[in-house]
Amino acid sequence: MTAPDGDASPSAPAIEGRGLVKTFGPIRAVDGVDIALRPGRIYGLLGPNGSGKTTLIRLLVGLARPSAGEARLLGHRVPSREMLARVGYMTQADGIYPELSVWENVRFFAGLYGSFDRTRLVETLRVVDLADRLGTPALQLSGGMRRRLSLACALVHRPPILVLDEPTVGIDPALRVQFWRHFRALAAAGATLLVTSHVMDEADRCDELLFILAGRIFARGTSAELRQRAGSENLEEAFLRFSGDGGDVAQPIVSRGGAA
Amino acid sequence: MSRRRVLAVVRRIVAQFRRDRRTLALIFVVPIVISALLGWVLRDQQTAAVRLGIVNQAGPAGQRIADALLAPGAADQAGSAGAVALPSSTIPESTARSELANDQLDVVLVIPADVAGGLASGHGVRLIVITQGANAPVEGGQVAQVQQFLARAVSSIVPGSPGLPTIEHETVFGSPSSDTFDALSPFFIGFFVYFLVFILTGISFLRERMGGTLERLLATPVTKGEIVLGYTLGFGIFATLQVIVLMAVMLIRIDVPALGPFGAFTLGLAVPSVGSPLLAFLIAMLLAIGAVSLGIFISTFARTEFQILQFIPIVIVPQGLLSGIFWRIDTLPALLQPLARVLPLTYAADGLREVMIQGRDLSAAGVQLDLGVLVGIAALFVVLAAATIRREVA
Repeated sequence: MTAPDGDASPSAPAIEGRGLVKTFGPIRAVDGVDIALRPGRIYGLLGPNGSGKTTLIRLLVGLARPSAGEARLLGHRVPSREMLARVGYMTQADGIYPELSVWENVRFFAGLYGSFDRTRLVETLRVVDLADRLGTPALQLSGGMRRRLSLACALVHRPPILVLDEPTVGIDPALRVQFWRHFRALAAAGATLLVTSHVMDEADRCDELLFILAGRIFARGTSAELRQRAGSENLEEAFLRFSGDGGDVAQPIVSRGGAA
Repeated sequence: MSRRRVLAVVRRIVAQFRRDRRTLALIFVVPIVISALLGWVLRDQQTAAVRLGIVNQAGPAGQRIADALLAPGAADQAGSAGAVALPSSTIPESTARSELANDQLDVVLVIPADVAGGLASGHGVRLIVITQGANAPVEGGQVAQVQQFLARAVSSIVPGSPGLPTIEHETVFGSPSSDTFDALSPFFIGFFVYFLVFILTGISFLRERMGGTLERLLATPVTKGEIVLGYTLGFGIFATLQVIVLMAVMLIRIDVPALGPFGAFTLGLAVPSVGSPLLAFLIAMLLAIGAVSLGIFISTFARTEFQILQFIPIVIVPQGLLSGIFWRIDTLPALLQPLARVLPLTYAADGLREVMIQGRDLSAAGVQLDLGVLVGIAALFVVLAAATIRREVA
């Protein structure tokens, strides 16, 4: 079902990393990652805090330069400004201006992407359920609303690639369902989504999962595959089985002490 | 460089400030209040008469001198009425010292025992003054007042003395009656703009760095140059308004006549300025542009707003002290002179003074130098600011 790396896929990978390494002094935050993510799919990058998720997506988006290896978006080498225009990046921090209203925030980011279109912006805000709060200063929004505004700011330019760092933190279940429905619609329209999370129950909604620990992708596959291979009922257990030593699975396993 | 993206940054900064009433007040009200207060303090200073005590240790010879000084009308004759408040009689030294200590006297004049010998030998007279010793500059001024009083009194006491010449004061620029505030006003315009623009940009950009919005900005196609330019233009709008308000407050004079319960008063500080306000404005704006980039640059070294404030005594205050307005640069210690000559405020203060008080224009070499250096420093800060925005693509 899942295409391993290098498999001849019908379409070229939208997000690609080859031998990606990022070191900060003696720390290897990303330690040899090879991935190829295809358009029209939602990928989940799962791992605990400090496992290298954010550093990896910063390399893939082109916000950081790898110490070794290379990253490509839609076949173009990054870092590249042209590619930044085609990525929607939702950071872990909200990254919105608290003094500005909802409308001023999205209008500002739309201005930076050079794609100001009033109808489209209102539509984007409707998706995140903020269309009736255009004039509210972001400061007065609840935590969940701010998260939604942050997502809207990543969508203003209708990017073919969406990289979302923990998009659903602090969002209530009903809205989370709505978020995922929208993600699915974007994927169906051909977008590539890479979503990080450390909440495993969200992972079931992804087409494919990547488990990351100590800067290495140590297991990948659909949720069902991974659970089956690990012989466990839920993903959390599967994650622990794969990440611990003594796992008897076919995928490469990183023992915590040996990642150097 | 995309105009649309620069404009987006500018609009955002303006919108942020429009919402922030308190900061708006900081920009416009504070300079008005402080310059008005300063003008008031410096201009309407009360000059209190120096309270003089006289101690005689020279017996009858000394008493003759003391009597001459104390004679009714001696002070009037000397033309220094009001400057020195004379006692009615001499007092013992111990009383004089305790009255000095208790703030009942300002200066005590001691006629020492050897005064008669000095008079007889023709070697001149040695008098002693005693002050409290708690505030040297003020006491120095009081001693000088006493000295003037003595000089005048002596010339009127000693028969046949020609008296001191009177001096009439004229000036090339301004008028002899210009006060400290007139001299300081160009500097204050520069200092306020520099200080406020630095603080506001520093804090704004720090929030951008810490709040995660900078990371997000850098994930858009905006360039570093567009960010710095957008900030410069956005804060430039506020700096412009501030300079206009400040210059208006300092230069205008509107006499409001008495009306009902209110007495007549004057609006504005009416600093006599002969130069082009436009050129003065240009100098202040160049300084402000440098301050925007300096704020962005400094924000790299701070983690909190409080840490930005910690840069005030390091970055702002020394610039004020060394700018040549309080002490001329060539009178500074040799080690500090080169430092003073690389600080932007030095050139802005000098340029503003040349334009506003000396009425020089662009043809003056001094003004050209000031403008040139300010442009150079602003350009350097812009480069430094852009360099601190860490990014893989420019």
